[in-house]
Amino acid sequence: MNPEFLRNVWLEMTTRRVLLMVGLLGLTFAAAALANGDWGPASVATWLYYIIVVILGSRSAALSVVGEIGARTWDSQRLSSLGAGEMMWGKLFGATIYNWFGGAICLAVLLTHEAITAGAGTAALDLLYYVGIGVISQAAALLASLIAIGRGQGHSRLEVFAYQLVGLVAGVAVWWVWDEVKSHTVDTIVWWGHPLDAAIFLLASLVIFSVWTLVACFREMRLELKMRNGPLVWLAFLVFIGFYVAGFDAWLSQELKSWDPGALRLLLAGTAYGILTYIMVLLEPKDRVHYRWMQGQIRQGHVANALNGTQAWMMGYAATFLAGIVLFFWLLHDVSAALVGQPLVLAALGFLTRDVSLFVLMQTLPGRRRGDFGALAILFALYVLIPWILASLNANALMFLFFPQLPSPTFVGAIAAWVQGIAVAGLTLTRLALTEKGQPVPA
Amino acid sequence: MIEVEDLVYEYPTARALKGVSLKVADQTITALVGPNGAGKTTLLRCLAALEDPYSGKVVIDGMDTTHSPREIHARMGYLPDFYGLYDDLTVRRCLTYAARSHSITAGATPKAVAKAAQRVGLSDRIDSKAGELSRGLRQRLAIGQAIVHEPKLLLLDEPAAGLDPQARRDLSALLIALRDGGMTLVVSSHILAELEDYCTEMIIIENGLIAGGKAIKVRDDDRPRYMVALAAPRADLKDFLVAHGADVSEADENHAVIVFTRNQTARAKLVRDLVMAGFEVASFGESSKALEQTYFAQVGHKA
Repeated sequence: MNPEFLRNVWLEMTTRRVLLMVGLLGLTFAAAALANGDWGPASVATWLYYIIVVILGSRSAALSVVGEIGARTWDSQRLSSLGAGEMMWGKLFGATIYNWFGGAICLAVLLTHEAITAGAGTAALDLLYYVGIGVISQAAALLASLIAIGRGQGHSRLEVFAYQLVGLVAGVAVWWVWDEVKSHTVDTIVWWGHPLDAAIFLLASLVIFSVWTLVACFREMRLELKMRNGPLVWLAFLVFIGFYVAGFDAWLSQELKSWDPGALRLLLAGTAYGILTYIMVLLEPKDRVHYRWMQGQIRQGHVANALNGTQAWMMGYAATFLAGIVLFFWLLHDVSAALVGQPLVLAALGFLTRDVSLFVLMQTLPGRRRGDFGALAILFALYVLIPWILASLNANALMFLFFPQLPSPTFVGAIAAWVQGIAVAGLTLTRLALTEKGQPVPA
Repeated sequence: MIEVEDLVYEYPTARALKGVSLKVADQTITALVGPNGAGKTTLLRCLAALEDPYSGKVVIDGMDTTHSPREIHARMGYLPDFYGLYDDLTVRRCLTYAARSHSITAGATPKAVAKAAQRVGLSDRIDSKAGELSRGLRQRLAIGQAIVHEPKLLLLDEPAAGLDPQARRDLSALLIALRDGGMTLVVSSHILAELEDYCTEMIIIENGLIAGGKAIKVRDDDRPRYMVALAAPRADLKDFLVAHGADVSEADENHAVIVFTRNQTARAKLVRDLVMAGFEVASFGESSKALEQTYFAQVGHKA
């Protein structure tokens, strides 16, 4: 048996706790049955399952590694011979074993009811859903906690709640998909020009994204165990997400009538890459020692080493840039689309350059532990507060300084964005450098 | 066992290790000493393949920590300065988990657990919960967890901190027994006096560098350290001793710490020569605080 799972079973499944769970749930179901009200045992079991497995289970998963750090046992676990997969599965199902025990009792009640009232087939499908929502919400919480650990964040109650919240959001997403599938609100979804059965498409998407979540957990665990990940899996994810998102071009065809499907797909893929870049530059540790190491490797001609140290946000940025450039040239096919699209694409890339550089720059300043918050505050001012003030002053002509816009002449917007981007990126690179004394550049 | 070559480690705002190079031989106990913030824990974590060097390399048992961290982890035991135990588990289960998570098969685990418990003196507490143990016994359990898989290398960060005198003596005996059993140990500590009981070599870390540039032999049975004390000061004491074949570790006008042969005839001759040369020798004897004296001689401070 997986040693990590076994250890968790020892700690979680004590006789007293098992009896407590069985007793409390038994009394609750008995009360629901005897009360004979609107809430029968099956309804109560459903809600208790969500509470025990999804809500509390996400917390248990979020604490599975963070709790070890708090208890100062994580270093000895990192020094074990357990592989990343063993550690991940041991944590994911071990730390939540008590939740799954309670959930199994609830499932027995609600699925028995489902089998009697709707048939064994429906009960079997429901079993898949309930297990799925539990695993996905817990895996998402574990992933959030691992990402936070990589960022060097602490383990305060608020932070653990944030990781748990990520799990709950994932759980709600699964619930929404399942609800759509069962209620048949949408019959078909057009993807890459083909109308597909909405239920099948949504379920398949759910399965695929769940697998990616588990892959992400595995890779984060590898990093914790000091194993190197390399860029290939993230590149594969970028290819997948670009392909997946580009298939929804039909959704934009009404808004951008002059754009052909190819341009729309490039736009969608590039936008997805841009969003991923923002997410990853926010989430990943922006360790200037690592960046200095990469600079050093490149200077010494060890480009392969540097590429192996590439972070996800860097690859996301490169993918966005590539998609943007391809889109820029693709739009040459249509003059009217090019007139509008090309300056906007260039401006968007300039602003993206500025923004990701800003996230890194803020980590090089004193008090960098709050660097991400500072970067977010500056971006909020640049994208919301200042444009709001400009709009109030009827100075909309200056909006191109803050958003991809089409001023006159149109390429001034792109130039303004790139001037900002190059300035912030240059400042960031300067800040990353060391002085000759081996100390970082003073603030 | 350990080869470190020009190791540089950086934190975002400071360079903690500035080009450390060292070698640790098999079956030795090496003390890692130095002031607070000198870089001892950082160096230990680099040796444990828990931190990646900025540059340079760390080779443990022939493997580079950057390329083979997990293989190194399998061959190593590490006790951090602040460690935790699973308080709700018994000693047996704590050791069983440590054994199983170090790839010891289920069949071989009971034997490994019993051996580790016996080595750290916890056989009689095997079914006690970790949370019920005293500080000294918890320390033993933590070491037991670190050695249950018979590692080739054991790294201990401040293992004696907070222990009472008896527990410290027990710890010294345990570390010597582990070395005699074939392990190589690196021990970081502030308490120089007790390191002297079991260490063979000393590495002084100061300001991210190794003071003196290399490990210093703490104990040499053939050439021990001696303290020479004078009743009347003489400025030429050091020169005289050097001229008569002694390695002078530390000297001033009133005393000197020297490394000299254990041979009794040679020692008697040295004392006679000192007296004949007019030195008023008040005492000549084996130094009982060699490690401390060597440490302060290297870092340039007085106790």
